[in-house]
Amino acid sequence: MEMRRVSGWFTLKGKSINSIAYSFHRLTGMVLLLYLIAHLSFLTSLRIGEETYTAFISTTVRPETLPLDSLLFLATFYHAFNGLRVVLNEFGLLYEVRKALIYVMTLLALIFWLYSTYMMYVFVTGW
Amino acid sequence: MEREVLFRIRRFDGEKEYWQDFRFTARKGMTVLEGLYFIKESLDGSLAFRASCRMGVCGSCAVKVNGKPRLACETQIFDVGDVLEIEPLDNMPVLKDLVVDMDGFFRKHEAVKPYLIRKDDDYKNPKELLQTPKELHAYYDFSLCIKCGACYSACPASATRSDYLGPAAITAAYRFCMDSRDEGKEERLGLVSGSDGVWRCHFNAECSEVCPKSVEPAKAMQKMRLMSAIHMIKSIFR
Repeated sequence: MEMRRVSGWFTLKGKSINSIAYSFHRLTGMVLLLYLIAHLSFLTSLRIGEETYTAFISTTVRPETLPLDSLLFLATFYHAFNGLRVVLNEFGLLYEVRKALIYVMTLLALIFWLYSTYMMYVFVTGW
Repeated sequence: MEREVLFRIRRFDGEKEYWQDFRFTARKGMTVLEGLYFIKESLDGSLAFRASCRMGVCGSCAVKVNGKPRLACETQIFDVGDVLEIEPLDNMPVLKDLVVDMDGFFRKHEAVKPYLIRKDDDYKNPKELLQTPKELHAYYDFSLCIKCGACYSACPASATRSDYLGPAAITAAYRFCMDSRDEGKEERLGLVSGSDGVWRCHFNAECSEVCPKSVEPAKAMQKMRLMSAIHMIKSIFR
């Protein structure tokens, strides 16, 4: 694999909405991979001791990091709904309306993201 | 109607790559290919590009115009704008200026056996192979491919894996698998079911967007994928 060509995943000049959805899917996939590594690292710190784990958690789980949590949810919902669209299309379903499906799935991801952000805000602030 | 346009062409002389600007007056209806011929004949005779039929049939003149692979002979300059960035196709080695080496592209096409395979081939006593209109329509759209390489250039999977067969070759395989006269479906499925075949596609679907003949390679790919899955499951029980 040539790294030069991987940059093509994120080149949008002259591309259609399909490629934009594809680029975002790759991007959010990388974000989720980084989150998974961080998440597993945090859990692994339990082997060192509860204090280490608590110290790690206290740096990230707090009201100031709420926007980052919200963005993580956005990446998760986009990746999930767009992934569902790709699965449907790859089974040969709804191929003819593939562009409309991109808009529908993105809209669903945005609705779920806004609702989850609202719920997180209520949970953290208490109202 | 006439107006000045700018052709920014990505050139390659065998050693270095560079952009060169050409300004000239284009007239209404003038195609990108006519613009390239004008540059070659009047401004810079060293410009290299590939073209033949000038009517969207041979598929020789595919280039990237403002980032999108298109047939230069079918693209009118004024439909694109006043500034046109013209580049060679992606995913194929550039030989000179806009001319790419399509050898690998055609080797992949050849690899899927894009011809009728029959057990009763007898060239000394040829016989007519009948087909109903319904049987013809099952593959007709996919037989319109002119092998211009536009889909292959737009495909991100072809960009990252040089051994990937690509959308054009797999569409050709699907076209012959769906032909009622063909008897080589199992053989062909074996060729496209590997990691360099249908499973490498990530459904970017840009191939269908750029196809100048509306062949829908992405659709053929997904149908071939389903066919391949059934073939692989069947092969377990054989």
